[in-house]
Amino acid sequence: MKRLRSFAFWSSCAALLAACGGGDLYVPGSGSPSGAPTTKGSFTSIVSFGDSLSDVGTYTPATSLAGDGTPPYFGGKFTTNETSNGQPDANPLGKIWLENIAASLGIVVTPAEVGFGASSVKCPAAAVPALATTCTAYGQGGARVTDPVGIGHDVGALTVPVVTQIANHLARFGSFQSSDLILVYAGINDVLVQFDAFAQTAAQAQADAAAGQITADQANLALFAAQEKAHAAMKAAALELAHDVVTQILANGGRYVAVMTLSDIVDTPLGNSLPAEVRPVLTGLSQVFNLWLREGLTGQPVQIIDTFALFKDAYANPGRFGIVNNTVPACDPAKISAITGGQVTDGSSLFCNATPGAPYNGLRTDADVNTWQFADSFHPTSGGHKVLGDVFRAQLQSFGWL
Amino acid sequence: MRTLRWLAVVAPIALTAPVAIAQSQNNIVKFAFTYYQPHSRTDGGIHGIGVPPGADAEVVNAATVLLTYERLLTPNVGVELVMGWPPKITAKATGSVAFLGDVLTARNLSPVLLLNYHFMPNEPLRPYIGIGINYTRFVDIESTLASDVKMTDSTGLAIQAGVEYRLNKDWELFAAIAKVDVKSKVVAVGANVLTATVDFRPITYTAGVTWRF
Repeated sequence: MKRLRSFAFWSSCAALLAACGGGDLYVPGSGSPSGAPTTKGSFTSIVSFGDSLSDVGTYTPATSLAGDGTPPYFGGKFTTNETSNGQPDANPLGKIWLENIAASLGIVVTPAEVGFGASSVKCPAAAVPALATTCTAYGQGGARVTDPVGIGHDVGALTVPVVTQIANHLARFGSFQSSDLILVYAGINDVLVQFDAFAQTAAQAQADAAAGQITADQANLALFAAQEKAHAAMKAAALELAHDVVTQILANGGRYVAVMTLSDIVDTPLGNSLPAEVRPVLTGLSQVFNLWLREGLTGQPVQIIDTFALFKDAYANPGRFGIVNNTVPACDPAKISAITGGQVTDGSSLFCNATPGAPYNGLRTDADVNTWQFADSFHPTSGGHKVLGDVFRAQLQSFGWL
Repeated sequence: MRTLRWLAVVAPIALTAPVAIAQSQNNIVKFAFTYYQPHSRTDGGIHGIGVPPGADAEVVNAATVLLTYERLLTPNVGVELVMGWPPKITAKATGSVAFLGDVLTARNLSPVLLLNYHFMPNEPLRPYIGIGINYTRFVDIESTLASDVKMTDSTGLAIQAGVEYRLNKDWELFAAIAKVDVKSKVVAVGANVLTATVDFRPITYTAGVTWRF
């Protein structure tokens, strides 16, 4: 039979002069980057672009104990903050993954911009001349890939988008260096914005269907259209990010460039709080972004760190990383509300302090920042960030860069 | 463009036809209507990010006209080329996404080359059977789900059985039933990337007139 088919195939090609070759069709996102360095880097800087997960303290002034933007501060990073340790050192407490990797390489990294609302300062570390080149952590909570109106922008968050973060780096430093370890990790806020829009349409459609104003099929079509719209926005954001990496980072001297995919936000307390039937939509937004990010970076000399697969594995096997609780946020919304005079009610880890004995400690009574993964509904504790840092570090080592 | 494709299909057959066997009336031309009844199934549905479980599609029935040319090599054995006006085939969503309705249309350019055996060549009512190959190319593909849809070509086995009934020296009636092996991988690229492998499993019912010369 196989023989007959094979004969039939070739004879038909000959007889019909048809273009039988070609084989399988190209499926976007099935390629890979290629040509990234494979040798150890001599890194003197870590240049990081992204959002709250890479934010080393942009909004610290918003956590002023006096409430007027002046120190001392009780928060500032999207994790379980610790303010008692002061100087950068080997102690991972209160630090995010980026700081952990920097510390392991003996590199100091400081925020590219610090402030809130109308007042912000670019490269505040430059006040100390020796630190003038350390302000290469551009990640800002709420930041999106291209849209300057990120999450929290309406209440004063800077949310400088990644495209502008990169432009700011070029404006300050002129170009990228081969001694820069460049880490690009953005898109989660685009997922959240698009998911929010989808959820609103979904709620409306369900309400209309329940009220008998539209049929079940019409409601399904409305949901489908909303999902398609969200997918289109995620595709656009991913291709924009890939384009930024290629035309702004690689074309301006970037050599050691790692780009993170997006993880599955379903694997967080936020995701767990959603109805089961909409979780796949949330997962899909990250996956669509990842597909087109990969497509946009196919053949480009970068490395991709696939947080989707890595975090899923870590979430499914918390014990391997010393995590005992990955469902309950370590920060207590009630305590944070009390500490902030009722201004922060959502338990945002930006305002969560974990310093033992401090009056502004916002942890739940039984929480442990080293063994609980999440600080709030999706940001990691300092222990969770240590896991991220270790996972990323292992990836960078596997590339041969460290 | 379509004319060109048809020429490309017909020309090599005409050139290689065995002219040495000079019998009377060993050329057979058929003109017929055909009803295309697929029994399609996919390899587990439509695949893609965010596609709900149970999302599937099936190809619906179509009709078209056929033109065939057969050259008899002996009174019993002939080589037949079947060409159809490419019918517009439609796939509709089924299963958990049935609410999407029709999701894809395409025309299938589907020539078939068959080796036929004719029983009782001197009787007025004669059965025949045939085996051969089908080549299918999908063109004019459009989908409501994606802006860019491609389908792989298909080459597969074709079998048929039919009867011919002689009206007079030159004209006959015929009817045939055929089963064709058509399988295509679909890749639909929009904001999302959807894939499916469709086994069309069509059975065609054909009836028409025959002219021998």
